[in-house]
Amino acid sequence: MSIEDTLEEDGMGDVDHETSESESESEQEDVRLTEPSKKSIYNRDGLLEKLSDISWPDNVEWIQKLSIVVDQEKEVDVNDDLARELSFYTQALEGTRQAFEKLQAMGIPFLRPPDYYAEMVKTDSHMEKVKSRLLEQKKKIEEAEERRKAREAKRIAKEIQAQKLKERAKQKKEEIESVKKWRKQRQQSGFSMGGKDGDMGLTFEDGKSFERSSKRRPGVAPGDRSGGKARHGGNKGMKGMDKKRKNREYRETKFGFGGRKGLKKQNTSDTTNDMRSFNQGNMSGNKKRKR
Amino acid sequence: MAKKRKHSEAEVSEPSKKEVALQRPKRTLFGWKDGVEEKEGDSLIFRNREKLLVTCSRRIVYRYRHLMLNVVSLLPHCKKDNKVESKESKGSTLNELVELRNCSSCLFFECRKQKDLYLWMAKCPSGPSVKFLVNAVHTMEELKLTGNHLKGSRPILTFSSNFDKDPHWKILKELIMQIFGTPKDHRKSKPFYDHVFVFSIVDDHIWFRNYQVSVPHNEMDKVDRGGLDKMTLVEVGPRFCLNPIKIFGGSFGGPTLYENPFYISPNQIRALEKRKKAGKYAKKIKAKTRRKMHELSNPLEPDEFADMWKE
Repeated sequence: MSIEDTLEEDGMGDVDHETSESESESEQEDVRLTEPSKKSIYNRDGLLEKLSDISWPDNVEWIQKLSIVVDQEKEVDVNDDLARELSFYTQALEGTRQAFEKLQAMGIPFLRPPDYYAEMVKTDSHMEKVKSRLLEQKKKIEEAEERRKAREAKRIAKEIQAQKLKERAKQKKEEIESVKKWRKQRQQSGFSMGGKDGDMGLTFEDGKSFERSSKRRPGVAPGDRSGGKARHGGNKGMKGMDKKRKNREYRETKFGFGGRKGLKKQNTSDTTNDMRSFNQGNMSGNKKRKR
Repeated sequence: MAKKRKHSEAEVSEPSKKEVALQRPKRTLFGWKDGVEEKEGDSLIFRNREKLLVTCSRRIVYRYRHLMLNVVSLLPHCKKDNKVESKESKGSTLNELVELRNCSSCLFFECRKQKDLYLWMAKCPSGPSVKFLVNAVHTMEELKLTGNHLKGSRPILTFSSNFDKDPHWKILKELIMQIFGTPKDHRKSKPFYDHVFVFSIVDDHIWFRNYQVSVPHNEMDKVDRGGLDKMTLVEVGPRFCLNPIKIFGGSFGGPTLYENPFYISPNQIRALEKRKKAGKYAKKIKAKTRRKMHELSNPLEPDEFADMWKE
């Protein structure tokens, strides 16, 4: 585990701990007098004397004491958990580094060989618990990550869908627009253009020639939305009957069964615009008059 | 046996005594360790024979008891004793107890009101002793402390530099060093160094931390190239924070040498809080009577337009 991890975890843990404890023991909070009380005792000489009494002789080797003094660079804010723990950590790290250098200089074996097994401070079962907790945390984090990703993907998909719809609407509008334009042009030129011009006008800007939609159903009136034949094609029988069935269907759509019949004879915009049955151009019609 | 112990204590306090030289030479597997002694002969051979008694008062809360047990597991040179009856937790009985167990120092966890933990650190029998208030206790059992280390390996003690500022911090440092440092070659200690204690003064409190040291290495006596840079620490616990209250000259008593000028006992704090909350009803009553008195003393002037629309 890296340093940042542990530290962060520590910090978070502390916060959790404090929030959980704050209600139960609010008095635990460190309250202190704002100014030092006057009658407090400070016997400097007595302290120093006592210190010299109990302290070990000066020439004691360092290996007996194993104590290291580490400079604290700056004042630490006590209430900032992270900063405080970081300062302790750096103190420990710096101290250990110095101590290990000293030990190494002495040439004493001081690191535990990997095959040295002995009783540890925490039991194996306890460490097992610690490990399982770590794993659980990791799993939780991963799950959260996954959920977040899924959410993100959903959002993006929605956006893309909206964009697509917009584009489609725009295209449709453009097409309609172009048709209108073409019509206006034709009106302005007074329908006098020959068949060739008309045909030219029929082509759209994007080069697609006007086509009847292929979805058109045979025998069904153009305005009929009730389904007509399509309704009938629902259940398909056996294979052998296939051809017969098709034939039958066609006839039924043509002569009855399925869809409203009344609409068949009504004009729609499609039929009015359908000029196929007219003589196009002025060739044949005008010949007689000329004579 | 007892005689020897006494003499060793004398050595600790006054190592310039002659008796030190009479000490039995150290034994090794192959015989007497004469050579070494000869070499160090001119300077005194110092042998740390610290023995620590760890006890607690009765009715200690489980959390604090666990803290005590953690301390016991960290210090191989300590002896754990039974809980002490709270009536008897006066200095003399404790001193007797320490004497009885042949110890030279004592850690006494005193729990009061099932809330406050006081820690006594004392050198016996000649003092000094310190009383701390313990705050912010986290025991080793907490699962977020993920480190582990050998039981009984000697800790490296690190102190922050502000321990050398004032005499009372100095004396505390010496005490902590003697009590928390495991004696070299103690028979229960293990010959490796894999954890570090942090004692740091922040905000006039001594903060304690215990870290496991993990260094990448192959051999026992050499750190890999750049290993010291790659060294990481994992916290093992426990954590606590000591607020020194008083330093006494003797062990568990004697003249007061230092008194923390900023200290307020948790009892006072609680009382203050209670007082703040109390008296709500009394205040209300008082306000009511005051209002009444005020109204009586300043009567309203008779309203001249009162019966104007009355007809």
